[in-house]
Amino acid sequence: MDLTLNTSPPYLGFGLGLRTCYFEDIIDSQPEVDWFEIISENYFVEGGKPWHYLDQIKERYPIAMHGVSMSIGSTTEVNFDYLRDLKRTIARIRPVWVSDHLCFSSIGDFNSHDLLPLPYTEEALTHLCDRLRIIQDYLEHPLILENVSSYLTYHQSQMTEWDFLASLHQQSGCQFLLDINNVYVSARNHGFDAMDYLNAIPQQAVAQIHLAGHSDFGSHIVDTHDQPVCDAVWQLFQRYAQSRLPINTMIERDDNFPPFDSLMAELNQARKLAPLNWSSND
Amino acid sequence: MTDLARIQQAFMALLNGTDQDLINHIAPQPGLDAEHRALIYQNAYRIRLTKVLEQDHEMLGRYLGDDLFDDMVTGYLAQYPSNDPSLRHFGDKLPHFLATQLPFSEHGILSEIALFERLLLQAFDAPDTKRLALSDIQQIPADLWPNVVFSLHPSARLLRCQFAAIESWQALKHGNPPPSPELESEHFWLVIREADLRTAFHPLSQHEYQCLQSMERGLPFSFVCEAAANIHQDAESGALAVMQLLQKALTANWLGDYQLP
Repeated sequence: MDLTLNTSPPYLGFGLGLRTCYFEDIIDSQPEVDWFEIISENYFVEGGKPWHYLDQIKERYPIAMHGVSMSIGSTTEVNFDYLRDLKRTIARIRPVWVSDHLCFSSIGDFNSHDLLPLPYTEEALTHLCDRLRIIQDYLEHPLILENVSSYLTYHQSQMTEWDFLASLHQQSGCQFLLDINNVYVSARNHGFDAMDYLNAIPQQAVAQIHLAGHSDFGSHIVDTHDQPVCDAVWQLFQRYAQSRLPINTMIERDDNFPPFDSLMAELNQARKLAPLNWSSND
Repeated sequence: MTDLARIQQAFMALLNGTDQDLINHIAPQPGLDAEHRALIYQNAYRIRLTKVLEQDHEMLGRYLGDDLFDDMVTGYLAQYPSNDPSLRHFGDKLPHFLATQLPFSEHGILSEIALFERLLLQAFDAPDTKRLALSDIQQIPADLWPNVVFSLHPSARLLRCQFAAIESWQALKHGNPPPSPELESEHFWLVIREADLRTAFHPLSQHEYQCLQSMERGLPFSFVCEAAANIHQDAESGALAVMQLLQKALTANWLGDYQLP
């Protein structure tokens, strides 16, 4: 069953990553945010505060689910226990879309809890297409995949990362969550032009954009999500967005959390830099 | 083994420190060499999992101090690498590790502090169910009372301490030095998520602990009373003590439900 080809998510506008420290701000102030994205695994629990707050927030805002532990690229068996939890959470939340990362993070029982890069080979492409089909069939829900930042490439790679993504879309119909910060991080770490990457991904393959911050160590940069979006990433977003139809865009922050108003300011910066036709979700 | 599988095995071996073969798979690039690129992932792996234990076991960290905490993380990571997709479970075996591995096992309080902190985490996001009220149990027919089975709220956890673990946790939480770890006799606690969602802990008498433990094990009310009678060495005062506990537990919202035979 191919669930991906005819199921593009709706355009909702500009969203924020929903993190526990902002629960009360959001419920109290009901900010002008078009949608929120949760970390799926944080809701693989039965009750307590996470669900207490999410139940209130999802009454007012559309929710997207974003996972970090599916390990779709792993060569060991698909973890159906994980997928069962994910499917149960999807049924409870009824998200606008579901995403995870284009990477591997576990082998068998060993979980790295990191988003480890795949080699860009025909073998990996075939493997991902097979896994996507199995996972989407089980979930009965399309899965969007995010490009990860990386700090190494493999001898074995036969194509660029962007050609790999474009081929994956062509062969599977899979759509992507394009993390522009991750593209910037990898471009700096590997010495390629970030616009070459972005321009190679067909518009219809992009369901969502992430904008986030990183830490610059001079010799390399690390995708830490603990800083504001930097000027270079804003510029990249603006250049990318100017010739595109509207794409759901989100500010992602996972550590060193600023006051909620600061995140809202970043969200409004994204709105300001996007083309005019991105400003309405009507 | 395929190339893809070989790379993935090599990557995991690099992270858990058993093999450096991944470096041979890394393509040369300007800037950092292969060793440094691999090191970024090795550092990130250790930092990420250390941070999880720091967040989940903040007071244990204060009790141990930075150096011993780092030693604990190193030993724990080597013995119990994460085997669950959720980081929430990474520290589940930490109380066992501390109870069995030198030098930590020489100080029983460490394992108890770690266990207490894990119970707090479990209570935090345990299932939501209704809390049993006095009016609910008033509907139980008198002749069925001996066989009625009460259950604790799903967030409730019972804890028996041989050391001053909770007293030390509280002292550290308030920025005070912990008391002597030794206790004259065991202390008993109930950890639970309150109805207002705060995670709380309450001291229990030994009698209360044993009665609640009987309920936790699914024993019928007559068995709970019997256990109390043994402690009080008298059936009547045992039954009275159980009724007082039941009233306390209902008032405090510790009970989840009851089942009739």
